[in-house]
Amino acid sequence: MTNPPYTPSVNPLARLLEGADGVVERLKAHAANQAAHRADARAEVEPYHPRKLELTVTELIDETSTTKTLRLRRTAGGSLPPFRAGQYLSLDVQVGDVRTNRAFSISSSPTRRDHYDLTVRRLPGGLVSNYLLDEVSIGDRFTSGGPMGTFTHDPLFHGDDLLFLAGGSGVAPAMSMIREIVELGLPRRMTLLYGSRRSDDIIFQDELEAIERQHPNIVVHHILAQADPGWTGAVKPLNAPLIVKLAGPLTGRMTYVCGPAYKYPYLVGELESLGLPGRRIRMEANYVAKSPPDTPDWPSGVDPTGAVTVSVRGGKSFQMPRGRELIYALEENGMPPAASCRSGECGDCRVKVCSGEVVHAEEARLRTSDRRFGYAHSCVAYPLTDIEVDFQPGNYF
Amino acid sequence: MSTHYDVIVIGSGLGGLAAATTLQRGGRQTLLLERHSVPGGAATSFVRGRFEFEVSLHQLGGMGGHGPLRAVLDELDVTRRLEWLEDRDLCRTFVPGEVDVRLPHDWSGLADVLDGLSPGNRPQIVRFLEIVRETGLWQLTARVNLHRIPEQLEWLKTLPDVRRYALRTFREVLDEFFTDERLKLVLSSYWSYNGQLPHRIAFMDMARLLTLYVETRPYQVVGGGQALSSALVESFEEAGGELRLNTEVVQILTDGGSAAGVRLENGDTVGAKLVVSNAPSTTTYTRLLDDPGVVPAHVLQGLRARRPGASATCLFLGVDASPKELGFTAATTFLSANLDEQSVLRGANSLTEPCPFLIVTCYDVQPTGFAPKGCTQVVLSAIQYAEPWESLAPEEYAAAKASYAESQLDLAETLVPGLRDAIEEAELATPLTFKRYTNQPGGAIYGFDQDITDSWLFHDEDLRQNVPGLLLTSNWTTAGGYNSNLVTASRRCQGLLARGQ
Ligand SMILES: Cc1cc2nc3c(=O)[nH]c(=O)nc-3n(C[C@H](O)[C@H](O)[C@H](O)COP(=O)(O)OP(=O)(O)OC[C@H]3O[C@@H](n4cnc5c(N)ncnc54)[C@H](O)[C@@H]3O)c2cc1C
Ligand SMILES: Cc1cc2nc3c(=O)[nH]c(=O)nc-3n(C[C@H](O)[C@H](O)[C@H](O)COP(=O)(O)OP(=O)(O)OC[C@H]3O[C@@H](n4cnc5c(N)ncnc54)[C@H](O)[C@@H]3O)c2cc1C
Ligand code: FES
Repeated sequence: MTNPPYTPSVNPLARLLEGADGVVERLKAHAANQAAHRADARAEVEPYHPRKLELTVTELIDETSTTKTLRLRRTAGGSLPPFRAGQYLSLDVQVGDVRTNRAFSISSSPTRRDHYDLTVRRLPGGLVSNYLLDEVSIGDRFTSGGPMGTFTHDPLFHGDDLLFLAGGSGVAPAMSMIREIVELGLPRRMTLLYGSRRSDDIIFQDELEAIERQHPNIVVHHILAQADPGWTGAVKPLNAPLIVKLAGPLTGRMTYVCGPAYKYPYLVGELESLGLPGRRIRMEANYVAKSPPDTPDWPSGVDPTGAVTVSVRGGKSFQMPRGRELIYALEENGMPPAASCRSGECGDCRVKVCSGEVVHAEEARLRTSDRRFGYAHSCVAYPLTDIEVDFQPGNYF
Repeated sequence: MSTHYDVIVIGSGLGGLAAATTLQRGGRQTLLLERHSVPGGAATSFVRGRFEFEVSLHQLGGMGGHGPLRAVLDELDVTRRLEWLEDRDLCRTFVPGEVDVRLPHDWSGLADVLDGLSPGNRPQIVRFLEIVRETGLWQLTARVNLHRIPEQLEWLKTLPDVRRYALRTFREVLDEFFTDERLKLVLSSYWSYNGQLPHRIAFMDMARLLTLYVETRPYQVVGGGQALSSALVESFEEAGGELRLNTEVVQILTDGGSAAGVRLENGDTVGAKLVVSNAPSTTTYTRLLDDPGVVPAHVLQGLRARRPGASATCLFLGVDASPKELGFTAATTFLSANLDEQSVLRGANSLTEPCPFLIVTCYDVQPTGFAPKGCTQVVLSAIQYAEPWESLAPEEYAAAKASYAESQLDLAETLVPGLRDAIEEAELATPLTFKRYTNQPGGAIYGFDQDITDSWLFHDEDLRQNVPGLLLTSNWTTAGGYNSNLVTASRRCQGLLARGQ
């Protein structure tokens, strides 16, 4: 079937304007010559920003007594999406009845697109880290979001002289950055000050040593919590004098900090005392630094262990202690919201607080209007009173 | 279908929000569905470190005096929920070594500044601005009175200048009046707000932009575009409306040639007497409808006659210095590298040319609440089409972003020396970023490419219900921008309510 030629629907007002006939002719020509409109815009962006990845564990590498690296490849084979060194994956996991997810920095180099390495350290009592270390075997499958996060080197203003303070598994993003620098021969210097508990718990020790020997632009110093017998290196605390002694003057350098979040306030204080402005310190917010009742906004006299009732609109009600992040309780009750960073940054876990009051951890990066109009980031929100919340489980971006 | 509403609105961009709020407040039980985790579409913000960043709103038109947007927001019970700021000037226009003027938001002050820039042209300047104003006011009025065509025809017959100039390009009319290229550039300051350079934009559209901003003065809102979106949601919900986020509509269902409901990503179906689509027209007519056969042939042909419009490449900067320390006095600066329009055109279609033009927006001359004390949010926006970005391989993307951001910053430093040294946060959004977050074809920020052929005068079908039970309200059925989207969507829905539909 052929349609009659296109005639634009011209408003009568146009007929009074000079040049209207010419416009009509141009439109007719466009309709005849131009191609159909293209496919769905979101689908076109998929190779850059996949919504979900299907991954298979192809190797498990023992790093230390507390840590393993999970090597993940695309289940269907082929290249994984590009990422920037320092970014993380949000891995979906089901442990028992609980559907949840956790963020893990990619420790492999962004030059390798055939696999992502996640380097997981045991958190005593932790749900997911213990599961990944003890229960996962080669061939197991996972889904995850695409690589995310802004804890990366920005050539626009970070410069080429870099300092990285890492603690424990916080070395994972540093490792990815260092691997990229040496593999591509980038003109960047990086000094890594890396804190570990014991000398047999230093992740990537051999590889870092080998890199340091061959690449003068990479300098690594280890700091232990306590000196083991035979340890000749530095020992905690990583204070201002020790930082200068190991890393030299800080002027003009960009400093990255990744490790246990409760140490950040101390480390930032030490760095600032050395004259480093706050804008030259970048932290991976990997967990709340101060839990209730130490959360800065926690009202005095309120008991964090006291129970409150949470009702989910269109779902069920349950009780939970005030001082726990709301998202954990939602997941345990079978109503997981979407989540990626689980540290207050990405906003995926946003819920509406229809009634009652919540308080946020300092890490929460809420939009001004979300505070004003009553929304919460459930991964860093604590219910102070009985609350009603409303949300739809996410479909991911 | 499991549940039924009077109305389902697909998408909570400004067009969707205005429609949903108007219909719900008019007594229609409305379900608003949005695929993203936040409402607002482009009218949103995001947070990095200590800073929040405005995604789309540079200057809000229609709020001052008897502005059309203020009237609509009053009716929707939204104005009182927000704090509004009036910009002190229209804008600053800057070309290194050539032009540096601040334009006031009144016609005679404007003539003074232009006269000072290019002495000896006063009579032409005054005459030109009169035609701009007359044409601008005509278009703003005619556009909302299309139900009174006979009256509008009579009025237009009395406006010979409008009839003569409306459909010329802005450039042609400039060339008829002036020879000084600096003067022409300053008069073209606002081209980027519809994405078309002076040699492509219709005189009537540039006149509309300039007139809207002079007559109603540019505004900011504390909390940015997202606060406006959230305030609309609050009014909608207070009136009993239901918003579901994280909920993508995958299909519009028809029954006997009429839209009758939608299918969601999870397979659920929901029925409604009216479906309003805030998704682009192209997407709605060619991908979402379960039976594209219900769309009249001339409407589909009409889509082919048009192309997705410009997108943008925006460098969002959180700066650890005050506006004063940085030397910002105006909220909005239009910054061109030189007087050559062709270089701006090339820059819109290429990543290898150095960035030739930026809208430089400083949100803290009067703070909108997004930067910590003593700091500044600065956004550098280049108008670009998606094609050069789409042609990159995924592994080339990050490096291309870094190098284009560098080029934008180099140009910005001609206006704000030392900007780079005070940066605390930086994030670059490209046309691909806009595609991802708003699902707009080509990452288009104002809908179709708004050259002369895109004028509403030649697309009456945009404001008709071409499929029974289906109404489209978005950038793609009206001129891009907050004012036109909100006002058009709300007025059209009021029309439906008045007709009892
Ligand atoms: C961006 C990002 C990147 C990360 N990268 C890595 C990585 O490369 N390798 C790695 O091993 N881990 C990494 N983590 C931490 C990881 O996501 C988990 O938080 C960690 O494995 C603990 O999870 P779990 O389920 O075992 O403990 P959970 O069951 O979640 O935790 C139990 C309790 O421990 C506390 N807690 C949780 N997480 C932390 C933490 N990180 N530090 C201190 N206390 C905590 C809380 O009080 C919590 O209620 C990263 C986190 C983020 C946000
Ligand atoms: C960088 C930039 C600068 C701008 N500057 C200005 C300015 O200074 N002044 C001005 O007035 N205007 C400006 N604009 C234009 C203005 O922001 C837009 O015109 C307006 O926000 C577009 O609204 P919309 O409702 O048409 O589309 P959108 O905002 O794109 O909304 C569409 C919504 O529908 C949702 N959606 C789409 N498909 C589906 C589906 N299948 N199911 C569920 N949901 C769906 C999307 O997720 C989105 O939320 C700017 C825009 C940008 C991007
Ligand atoms: S999961 Fe990212 S903010 Fe909560």
